Amino acid sequence: MEQIHLNRECLKLGKREEGGMSQKKRILIVDDDPDFAAAIQKILTSADYYVGVAGNVEDGMKAIEEEIPDLILLDVMMEKYDDGFNMCYDLKHDDRYRGIPVIIVTAVTEVTGLKFNPETDGEYLEADDYVQKPISAEALLTKVARLI
Amino acid sequence: MSGERARILVVDDEKVIRDSCTRILTTEGHIIKSAENGNIGLEVFREFHPDLVLVDLKMPGKSGMDVLEEIESIDPNVVQIVITGYATVSSAVDAMKRGAYDFIPKPFTPEEILLIVGRGLEKRRLLLESEALKVEHERIRRNMISLVSHELRAPLAATVQYLEVILGGMAGEIPSEAKEMIVRCDIRLQEMLELLRKWLNLATFDSPKMAEHFQDISLSDIATESIELMKSLAEEKKISLILETSKDLPPIKGSKVSLEEIFNNLISNAIKYNKAGGWVKVILYGREEEVWVEISDNGSGIDEEHLSRIFDEFYRVDGRRNAPIKGSGLGLSIVKKMVDAHGGMIDVESKFGEGTTFRIGFPKFFQRQKEG
Ligand SMILES: Nc1ncnc2c1ncn2[C@@H]1O[C@H](COP(=O)(O)OP(=O)(O)OP(=O)(O)O)[C@@H](O)[C@H]1O
Ligand SMILES: [Mg+2]
Repeated sequence: MEQIHLNRECLKLGKREEGGMSQKKRILIVDDDPDFAAAIQKILTSADYYVGVAGNVEDGMKAIEEEIPDLILLDVMMEKYDDGFNMCYDLKHDDRYRGIPVIIVTAVTEVTGLKFNPETDGEYLEADDYVQKPISAEALLTKVARLI
Repeated sequence: MSGERARILVVDDEKVIRDSCTRILTTEGHIIKSAENGNIGLEVFREFHPDLVLVDLKMPGKSGMDVLEEIESIDPNVVQIVITGYATVSSAVDAMKRGAYDFIPKPFTPEEILLIVGRGLEKRRLLLESEALKVEHERIRRNMISLVSHELRAPLAATVQYLEVILGGMAGEIPSEAKEMIVRCDIRLQEMLELLRKWLNLATFDSPKMAEHFQDISLSDIATESIELMKSLAEEKKISLILETSKDLPPIKGSKVSLEEIFNNLISNAIKYNKAGGWVKVILYGREEEVWVEISDNGSGIDEEHLSRIFDEFYRVDGRRNAPIKGSGLGLSIVKKMVDAHGGMIDVESKFGEGTTFRIGFPKFFQRQKEG
């Protein structure tokens, strides 16, 4: 909880610096694995992004309502497995949020698995890209840079 | 079921038959209900949930055959026994072809009906048992999938993600000795992740679902991408990768992700089980009904005695736990499954010490439709 709060502060901080040439881009991570989120956060902050973390969809939506991020990294395999799917759908069907690039993060992408499958679920998801856990720093930063 | 009280439904328009069945079977301790025609029979069936039904084939109104068919669709595990006159034995045979278990000609003695019902109930017991086993098996499989994907894979992924941060120098300087060890940790965990990925891939593979999303695929695109992906591995081992593809190679109907999986597995094997200075050749060509893929290498080759088993799950020629070349033994079983799902065929030719060729024929479903 503490971490989530702290990270929201980060998001706000990004806004306060407005005006400067070097305004940092803000990324929101929505993931219920705090360790994975922390590792990803470190990679992104090292590349000079402001990064907020939400541990579930509810906190994620709150953070977005407070401040629209420049990109969202969304885990689709959270506690209730369709949480992330629904959140992505909601974002892409809301005029306020449709423009935010969303990268789907998943630990499971079997070829025809029961769970997420880019071939069959890609259309429904309307995400801008997807990555698989774990991901190399380089690959992650390339994907983020392409969308932001 | 034998020895226990079973529920038995008798559907026959002759009162004598209904009454005698009821009398004989009740003395055995069974619970009997009867109906005088097909429609009533089905009504009773739905509420009574019998283990076994005795159905007269020739009744006024709904025919016995129709009754059996409906019963089959409600509960395929109900044992069906046909009651029939001597004149209609051939229709009893028809009924059995459609799934009835046995038939009893009229008139019958108490011994005859007890014998046939007894055998039928034994059959019912076996059906229920195997059904229960199937359910249990599916439950275990699902639990295992969930365990592997969440309890095993997720913590591994988080750990490897931290190592990525640490090795990337994002968490400060690392003493060089420590770094070497962390690199080893990373390699070992990555191997484990790869094993879990492959296992999940096999365990959750659903070929009908995959076939629903078949598209036109250019195998030369897939081969090019796969070779690109394997380049660094090949360079490390000083192995040259060669692609030969005929100019107007027709597309096939398939799943991109799983075709990539096929190429990645076969090409990575051809590199892995090869020696410095070796080559891997990927050849693609169209022949009448199929598009053929040949992936050959001049690597270690596979001894005759192992050749028939390399497609088995977890089978490795060097099966020692600490074999110098790492792998799970799942790669080729995945390849086999995915080739099958594309309606294709795969075979292998190999000479120990000289090299190996895998050959896959994919049907060009799409072409055939177009021409026809
Ligand atoms: N091109 C090849 N040359 C020589 N041996 C091979 C070749 N391809 C496969 N094999 C043998 O067949 C075995 C099974 O191969 P398979 O790809 O199924 O598993 P693996 O390579 O051991 O593990 P994985 O692919 O899951 O990492 C290998 O262990 C190897 O002994
Ligand atoms: Mg292999």
